[in-house]
Amino acid sequence: MSEKKISSSSTAEYFSKNLQQVGFSSQTKAVLTTLKEAVDNALDACEEHGILPELKVEIERLGAGSIKNSERIRVLVTDNGPGIDADDLPKVFGEYLASSKFGRGRCTRGQQGIGISAATTWAQMTCAQGAKVISKTKAMRKAVSAVIEVDIKNNKGIVKKRETIDWDRPQGTQVEFVFDGRIQVNGEAGIMNYLLGTTLVNPHLTLHYQLPDQEVVTVDRVSNEVPAIPDAADPHPHTMKLGEFISHSHLFGRVKVSAWLKKGFSRISDQVIEDMIKVKENGLNRALFDKNVDQLANPEFTKIFAAIQNTELKAPSTSSVLSIGEDSLSKSILRLGKVDFFSVVSRKPTICDFKPVQVEVAIARLEQKNMDADSPVQLLRFANRVPLQFDKSACAIAQAITTVNWRSYGLGQPKDAMPQGPYIFAVSVVSPFIKFKNASKETIDASDELVEEIRRTLMQAGQKLSRYINAEDKANDLEEKLRYIEQFGPILVDGLARITGAKEDQKKRAREGLMKLLGRDTSSAEKELSAANQKLAKQEAKTSEAE
Amino acid sequence: MGLRKGGKVKSDIPIISKELCLRLLNDLEKAKRPVLYATKCSLDNAIYNHKVGYLTPGSKKVATELNVSSVKKMSRAVFMLEILLGNIDTGAVNTKRELYYMSKGAIKSTPALKPLDFADQPESDDTIDFICELMECYREDINCYANDRGGQTYSQQLIVTETMTDGTIATIDLSKLGTSPFQPKNRPQNLKLSTSKKIDFALIVESEGTANTLVANGFTKRNNCIVIGSQGVPSNAVRGWSKLIQDQLKIPLYFFGDLDAYTLQNIYRTLKAGSAASLIRNQDYSAPDVKFLGVLPEDIKKYDLFDYPVKEHDAQEGRALKKASDALKNDPFFQDKKNRGLADILNWLLKNKRRCEQQAFFSVNPKDPTMPEKIILDKIKRGNYV
Repeated sequence: MSEKKISSSSTAEYFSKNLQQVGFSSQTKAVLTTLKEAVDNALDACEEHGILPELKVEIERLGAGSIKNSERIRVLVTDNGPGIDADDLPKVFGEYLASSKFGRGRCTRGQQGIGISAATTWAQMTCAQGAKVISKTKAMRKAVSAVIEVDIKNNKGIVKKRETIDWDRPQGTQVEFVFDGRIQVNGEAGIMNYLLGTTLVNPHLTLHYQLPDQEVVTVDRVSNEVPAIPDAADPHPHTMKLGEFISHSHLFGRVKVSAWLKKGFSRISDQVIEDMIKVKENGLNRALFDKNVDQLANPEFTKIFAAIQNTELKAPSTSSVLSIGEDSLSKSILRLGKVDFFSVVSRKPTICDFKPVQVEVAIARLEQKNMDADSPVQLLRFANRVPLQFDKSACAIAQAITTVNWRSYGLGQPKDAMPQGPYIFAVSVVSPFIKFKNASKETIDASDELVEEIRRTLMQAGQKLSRYINAEDKANDLEEKLRYIEQFGPILVDGLARITGAKEDQKKRAREGLMKLLGRDTSSAEKELSAANQKLAKQEAKTSEAE
Repeated sequence: MGLRKGGKVKSDIPIISKELCLRLLNDLEKAKRPVLYATKCSLDNAIYNHKVGYLTPGSKKVATELNVSSVKKMSRAVFMLEILLGNIDTGAVNTKRELYYMSKGAIKSTPALKPLDFADQPESDDTIDFICELMECYREDINCYANDRGGQTYSQQLIVTETMTDGTIATIDLSKLGTSPFQPKNRPQNLKLSTSKKIDFALIVESEGTANTLVANGFTKRNNCIVIGSQGVPSNAVRGWSKLIQDQLKIPLYFFGDLDAYTLQNIYRTLKAGSAASLIRNQDYSAPDVKFLGVLPEDIKKYDLFDYPVKEHDAQEGRALKKASDALKNDPFFQDKKNRGLADILNWLLKNKRRCEQQAFFSVNPKDPTMPEKIILDKIKRGNYV
């Protein structure tokens, strides 16, 4: 017999040893993940309470870090949210899997309650200090200030240096992390890309940010509506496993099986129950459905579960998904910089892999963007309105983009690759049940159905975009034709006259004739331009009508 | 002066150019859209009649209408034509690359011409080709010469008389050149041939190296003949030179090269019947009497030659096979019943996917350096060619 003892460890212990799984796999990622977790929490809290969020983000370099080649970084995020009760602070910042949102099936940014505790752990491990928090709810006269650390052995938050202080705001939370990392401002995985993306998909957000050695920048909100996060829909039985099905019954106490099925699940009605009874192979009788659910034995649960799986049900409701909307996206996209034109598509919510999902796409062409025509477009990916910045190639969004033939919409695109040009492609997937490839939520799993839904949305956006590109091409064509006439007409006639020894009056007549001829060619280009402009005007009228 | 049957003489070029420009100018004066027609030089407009012996153009024409899209192309053509007419006037000649630089120089000195500027040489080359197509003339007719390539010729009996541009006459006795070959020019029509002794045949060898070896080993000493190295796909010089030998000496011509699709279809067909791209010049640049001496498929067995499989996955060889298969379907030369023997070889190559190089003759008896010569002479004697 082995003498080795089998011991159990806490959740905090597990994550502290595996922080790379939750977004702390490199020093640059550590900065971005910390910022992201703090901003996500702030935005979720504001939305839960119907508050228009106003966030202040400060990122500062404090000197050399304790890890080789690292810097000591300070990230400070202040919000105007509801604030957190003093007693809840250790749970929020110092305890893993303590979440108000876990498993609720709503389109919130955070879900499990891992991220912000992981940020605290990273700070604690690299700089030996936890999260410094100031918080004030409306009910509190003074704000509470404390340092929260994670008790790694016991997965509990520890409160240190707790004190009450005066704070110049009625409510809100401020969290400060000091840790080792490295700041990457630009590029796909850079902080700027994160901030740009966050403002794009949160039109109701006012953001003040200050990056190292830079002035404070303010991006004002373009919408005064706080998005209402729809309530979770009841679970659809086809998305469940037997164990979940049985556990679900425990929430209902003593009710009849038929009532439990109708109340506890979506898409189960009296008719569905009747249909299940009618099918002899199911081996179910009416009496079973009249029994109390707490009296059912496992074989009976199994029978009912199997019958439901064999019954055709309506797909789950899509009412639980939250959309940004074409109108808000259209306003928000103008905050990205000087935009030539853009195209926005918000698809109706649909069901992919038996889960409700909504895809929205915004494509903008930027003016005076220092990008080569043959550089890939800048891609902003979002899952539940959180920017995704790593592992692009494996993501459903990137895969969908490369399968679309962008050349037919007037963009350059090498075979099976991202389209090219000074464009920003923003693709947002919203769903209460997004399937990520990893715990750090960096890539959306590329199921065939989801990729197809994203692809369709992109194609719609591409069609809208192509009207602008087409009109622009036609205008360029006309301009080039006019330029050609002006440039080459006189040269051609002069050359012919020199070879033939033509006299001046003959030359003059030939020049006039040539201008007349070429002028006719431009009239067809003018017609094409006018047709392209009409199509575009029609599209724009349709869009504003819809708004 | 070069003269082609039914064609133009070089002195016609300024007149034809002036007529063409005048027509354009007159149309423009009337605000009428000028349209220029050029012969379509492609396989779908190629006709082959074995009685004629080379590919001739069909009735298809390419029309270029003056409009906004073509005004730049036409302006460039008129600009380049002016430079070329200047050359014809003074008797100067240039290569395409030199003409490219001359056009750059002309544009530099006249800023108004800046829009015509050529970004690179292919653009000015296209303009020169367009002029040739419009006037249905050879590039050499407008004093534009390519670098001479291939055609190194050896003989102990051949005498060449060349009329120089200034009218003087040069006589070259090839037997007096030692180991140096005679190299024909791109316009061999300026040459007149005679012989010191009756010449029995001319042998055109695909590999110039092998031609040199044959001569070094005494081929031309032992035989009354002409040996020419074609150096791959025959240049205008090689094609015109072979035609001249055929017409003036009236001796049998044999081509000795590899047994593969590329040699048969690109090298030999071009030598014998010209190419689709040069439909308007095949008349002077093909030697229809030339026979394919080999390597023939039956030679492999007969002489126990080394052959090897074609690498189908090799892009170049794969392309050659595809082209050969297309040639059997579309090329009027291989479809003509008189050339069935050649089409049979192409079919054999496509079926067996093997190739055998001309140098394989050196494997028959490595101790005897004259063995390839013996095989060649034996094949000629027995009529073992296609």
